[in-house]
Amino acid sequence: MRSTTNTIWAVFGLALILVLPAFAGGQWIKIFTSTTTFAMAAAGAGFLYTRLGMVSLVQVGLMGVGGWVTLRLNHAFNFPFEINLMVAGAVTMFLGNLIALPALRMRGLYLALITLMFAAGLDIVFTAKQFPNGAAGFWGVGTTFAADMRRPLLAQSDAAYLRYTMVWLVIGFVLIELHRRMAPGRAWALIRKSEAAALASGVNVTLYKTWAFGLSGLLAGLGGGLLAGSLGLLDSATFRASESVMLFALVIVGGARFWYGAVIAAVLFRVVPGLLNNWGVDADLSLVIFGAALLHAVMTAPDGLAGQINGAVRALIPGGKTAETKSDKKGAKA
Amino acid sequence: MISIENLTVRFGGVVALDHIGAEFSANVSGLIGPNGAGKTTTMNVISGFLDAHNGHVIVEGTDLVKLAPHKRVQWGLRRSFQKEQIANDLTVRENLMAITDHLRGSRGDKRADLERAAEFAGVTGILDKMGRDLNTFERRLTDVARCVIGHPKMIMFDEPAGGLTPEETERLGDLILGIHDLTGAKVLVIDHDVELIERICAETLVLDFGKRVAFGPTSEVLRDPAVQAAYLGIEVEEEHA
Ligand SMILES: Nc1ncnc2c1ncn2[C@@H]1O[C@H](COP(=O)(O)OP(=O)(O)O)[C@@H](O)[C@H]1O
Ligand SMILES: [Mg+2]
Repeated sequence: MRSTTNTIWAVFGLALILVLPAFAGGQWIKIFTSTTTFAMAAAGAGFLYTRLGMVSLVQVGLMGVGGWVTLRLNHAFNFPFEINLMVAGAVTMFLGNLIALPALRMRGLYLALITLMFAAGLDIVFTAKQFPNGAAGFWGVGTTFAADMRRPLLAQSDAAYLRYTMVWLVIGFVLIELHRRMAPGRAWALIRKSEAAALASGVNVTLYKTWAFGLSGLLAGLGGGLLAGSLGLLDSATFRASESVMLFALVIVGGARFWYGAVIAAVLFRVVPGLLNNWGVDADLSLVIFGAALLHAVMTAPDGLAGQINGAVRALIPGGKTAETKSDKKGAKA
Repeated sequence: MISIENLTVRFGGVVALDHIGAEFSANVSGLIGPNGAGKTTTMNVISGFLDAHNGHVIVEGTDLVKLAPHKRVQWGLRRSFQKEQIANDLTVRENLMAITDHLRGSRGDKRADLERAAEFAGVTGILDKMGRDLNTFERRLTDVARCVIGHPKMIMFDEPAGGLTPEETERLGDLILGIHDLTGAKVLVIDHDVELIERICAETLVLDFGKRVAFGPTSEVLRDPAVQAAYLGIEVEEEHA
């Protein structure tokens, strides 16, 4: 059963990767690209939340770090784009590990607040220092500068770059799924049940919590690096701490238990404000819509929109069973 | 031989374990006492979830107190909990693999070991069932399988018969009696069911208010007037509950 739904989604995803870049025009290509990069960060936050029951409110801030590192390397050296991206991912993975240190002692709301403090700290640094644009010096910011951002050889055009980003997102999803199916996934499930359960099974809780935050940080950093490659210039306003909070709320609305929940979250995050703009409505209205959606999710749809879609898809497939996807709230809180 | 020496635990001003000592040489030993006596605390110290203020737990020449909790599992310590801790979003098989993941050995050996443990505990038929779908007895059996997997040296059960019917309790008792032959491990059992303890434990340690009340062969210990005095309280309590 599960494999049928997975196949349907795989075909759908592939079709999207082929079709979307070919037909989306002008400004929409950029919006879809940035949506894809935010989906990577959302996937990281979602997996931390469902697998370990931990709330990270610093994902967008880490995207900023990934973007900063990518721009910095691009303007300082002549490495190919991939190398810069990898370094950016490694840096945010390490930062994720650092953020995990308080996570070893704290949980629930306190942990969320610690990650939010990290996000606020990054916010301040980004606002003060801005993002490298090719000028001299370590911070590399000049008022009249706008040096070239190199892109991957295979993805020079905007459409090709969107496709390239989507492939990275798929790699991100595969990485999460592989973890879920192997030793780390089992260790995380036990940690979520209780630390005593994990310890009694021989799980090194410190190692696996650090690992989880590292993976989540890696995804955010890659997303940020890819965003930098798309835009060439980054603005500190994109990486406000409030954006991290917003993205997390939308991960809940989208549905953290399913991979496409992250896509839904990113679409809401990036596309809805764009649509409102197009229709001549104040984009701040999206805040009201998201607030209502979050209430809806918290009160009636614990698995978010993805959970409802999943239920509908299963109902359409003969022999499909919806009960299996029932959320496990007790486990998430333990 | 499981050698507990001078074990002392304090929670603030409360002395939960007061210089407890005992040398268990039986294959299956019991740990009994009224509620709050310090039984679970003893297991938590042996597991490494709590730090002892004093004392040692020496098994086969290794002082467990000196190892990190997850290292104790690698050494060969297993335990179950009063409230079982099966991960709901893993299958029974995955719950078992979560232990072998952190042990040495080839993939084939681990799979054979898992199948052997499942067979012994009688969970082969439910290996692919999700944790959240298990009933109370299936959870207990899964716990037994978790405990015998990966060549254990010492196994502790905290109230394994809680919530089971008399028939299920009997079956569980038989399983626990079979563990030493299967694995060679020494077993320590906490339970309120004195009948079960009498049947499966050759030696028993009795605690009350964190102090050792009696220790020795189970039948002798249960006849001890000090033990009967400690237990009278709980018997009466349970009848009124
Ligand atoms: N983590 C803890 N913090 C404070 N007191 C505790 C803790 N764990 C147990 N205690 C206390 O220690 C005593 C022994 O508890 P426990 O070992 O759980 O008893 P039992 O013999 O019923 O298993 C009780 O008085 C209990 O309240
Ligand atoms: Mg107890």
